[in-house]
Amino acid sequence: MTKETNEKMSGNGWEPRIVAFLCNWCSYAGADLAGVSRIQYPPNVRVIRVPCSGRINPLFIVKALQAGADGVLVSGCHPGDCHYISGNLYARRKFALLKSLLEYVGIEPQRVHFSWVSAAEGARFAEILGKVIDSVRSVGPANRMIKRFKEVA
Amino acid sequence: MNQVEETLRQEVAKLLEDGTIDVFVGHEAVSLPLRTSPCFVRSPKEVDRLVWDRICTRNLATYLPQLFKRPVGLKGEWTPPKVGVVAKGCDSRSIVGLIKEKQIPRDRLFIIGVGCEGMIDRHSVGRVLGVVGLADAKVDGNSVQVIGTDGREKRIDIADVLAASCRECQHREAVLSNLTVGEAPSSAPEVSHYANVAGFELKSSQERWEHWVEELSRCIRCYACRQACPNCYCEECFAEETAPQWLGVTTDLSDVFVFHLGRAFHQAGRCVDCGACVAACPQGIDLRLLNQKINKDVEELFEAQASLSLEEAEALSSFRMEDDQSFMTEP
Amino acid sequence: MLEITLDKSKVQEFLRLLGQNRRLFAPVKDRMGTTFSEVVDPSLVCLDGLNTNLSPKEVVFPQWETLYTFEEDQANEVKLVAQETLLFGARPCDARALELLDRVFTWERIDDPYYLHRREKTCVVALACNTPGEACFCSSVGGSPVGEVGADVLAFDLGEQLYLRALTERGEALLNEASALTEKATEEDKRAVQQAAAEAEKQLQPIPIPKDLAALKESFDAEIWENLGQKCLGCGTCAYVCPTCHCFDITDETKKGVGRRVRSWDSCAFSLFTLHGSGHNPRITQAARYRQRVLHKFLYCPENFGEAFCVGCGRCITNCPAGLDLRAVLERLASLAKVG
Repeated sequence: MTKETNEKMSGNGWEPRIVAFLCNWCSYAGADLAGVSRIQYPPNVRVIRVPCSGRINPLFIVKALQAGADGVLVSGCHPGDCHYISGNLYARRKFALLKSLLEYVGIEPQRVHFSWVSAAEGARFAEILGKVIDSVRSVGPANRMIKRFKEVA
Repeated sequence: MNQVEETLRQEVAKLLEDGTIDVFVGHEAVSLPLRTSPCFVRSPKEVDRLVWDRICTRNLATYLPQLFKRPVGLKGEWTPPKVGVVAKGCDSRSIVGLIKEKQIPRDRLFIIGVGCEGMIDRHSVGRVLGVVGLADAKVDGNSVQVIGTDGREKRIDIADVLAASCRECQHREAVLSNLTVGEAPSSAPEVSHYANVAGFELKSSQERWEHWVEELSRCIRCYACRQACPNCYCEECFAEETAPQWLGVTTDLSDVFVFHLGRAFHQAGRCVDCGACVAACPQGIDLRLLNQKINKDVEELFEAQASLSLEEAEALSSFRMEDDQSFMTEP
Repeated sequence: MLEITLDKSKVQEFLRLLGQNRRLFAPVKDRMGTTFSEVVDPSLVCLDGLNTNLSPKEVVFPQWETLYTFEEDQANEVKLVAQETLLFGARPCDARALELLDRVFTWERIDDPYYLHRREKTCVVALACNTPGEACFCSSVGGSPVGEVGADVLAFDLGEQLYLRALTERGEALLNEASALTEKATEEDKRAVQQAAAEAEKQLQPIPIPKDLAALKESFDAEIWENLGQKCLGCGTCAYVCPTCHCFDITDETKKGVGRRVRSWDSCAFSLFTLHGSGHNPRITQAARYRQRVLHKFLYCPENFGEAFCVGCGRCITNCPAGLDLRAVLERLASLAKVG
């Protein structure tokens, strides 16, 4: 994706649509803190609150991509701080494998992101999100593995 | 008949006679060449059905969980049978996995371990013959004599038509057994069992995508891979769940990707690379290229290999504080 | 009707000519031997394989298709506009299977428009077999390696040339389109064909088939089903590669108020095939499911359609991952009938 193509696409009005799975106790609270602190961050994200990053079924991420999300972010508590003690530690292993697997089958690695954001890290959340959006923007609209309905068999 | 086959039959007859087991799961001959079928022997008089040769490709562990399930509609007392099974290295690893996941009870299982230097992949033989079909074949030492449907004969080195998973196998002996028959196999050659994956990783994202599009377009959603796999024992597979519906049931490419990514991921830390999925696929899809990627990551990131011992916890059921997190996004 | 010969060196040109305003389906080389594929470049067509790995039933009964789409509360019918299609190189077993499928999809009150709009536009040029495939038994189930049922044209491979015989008006019209490339068949050609046909039929070993329907009914509780059910993995391979299997599932796929209702292949070997909404499953064991497969083909279809729904192509046997051999099953069933 060249800079020119990217600009042209943004010029066409394309904005990345990011789905973010945020754990209730840390990352969601962190995102909320960013909001009440009036920290500006781009509006490209749709948030889905989950109790813990360990609750994330890898299929959620795969389905988000299938549904047409340009990018997916999963964010949880820092290791050692999980409200459920170790959910994020199991999740870390799952996410490492999933990110690697998705890249392996040709889903651009710039689309799938994992992070740790605590409830006090409003600014960090905004920064990470900005980075994610830029990363997704650099690879353009998703066009692999999307399930399209308008076409008829 | 070979020595291992003869000894196997003798041992199984003894086990059935003295009541150590109620049923023995093994392989039996079928009319088509280079194939066997699973065999359930319940009487010492039937042990001659059992065979052992370089064509016993399937993973018998797949057939074990069903034997320990209470028969439907049976009233009254039922105790699970005592089951014997012949196991190669890969089969035994699958058995270890099933025991750990509480699908089969160790104390009602009698495993006869057999050393294995690799099984013949009949699809490789088919490719040697080209479009001509296989009329007959006979294993003879380290080679196999084949006759095509055009009448032409050919002698092929077994080493040239070994199943891919056998070629890279590092576990030639059973990792868990009650009894071993046959000689110890020669040590496995030092080959990287991830060479195919490493090579694939070097391709560009576009090339990798195109490869999987082409490969997975062949899928007809028959689920042979899933049914042949010992690890896939879920009574309701995610692919068939309707609430929620994770994926469609058609060969819409997007859904095919979701199925194979999902199934491969469900094998993470559990797949023993037995090759049963590849052998079962009627379309010859190289699923190992997907499963081995996860196996490689599990080994490199978590220093774990699936199901080598009963004591070790599975990779995705454990964690270390120092687990790698270099893949994570930082501002 | 028209009998012609075509030099094998002209087959590509022949297919290119006939493929000008048609979709062409023909066998191509595949990592599993040969398989039917939509062909744009006739040089890829391979007629040297025996039977293809997958049957050509996809031409008239695709693995999936949309029945209708919907948006909010508005349903939209799918336009059924099949293209003219030439199915070239189907073996007589596959052609005969199409005729059996015709009966299912026009059975009693329903003429299935999704099936028919494709079938009506498909011209079938069958290629007779000179040698049987790995697990063929067509002649034991009412077929023949040189059978004409279900085809518009029957072709024979005579070595240097193909002989083609029109069987229907559509077939004759097709062959006439390529008259510039073909010659009228000579008496010598016709004798060679008769010779080839006799040779082919001789090579097939007959196998016992259970034909006594009453005895088959009696076999319902026989132990044989338990033994086979234990081996069967419960995948859909046999049903999907079979040219006469036609069961399908209907599912809805939706995304925010927009969706489609699709039908896709289903297999009676799947555990969910007869799962009721209540949770009850009348065929809860694999033995019951395997029994259903065999009895459907050899008992219920003869009762409903007068013929067994098996054309003896052998694909279920060569593809079964559990090594199950239908011929062995049929032999056991046939012998049960004799005993009982």
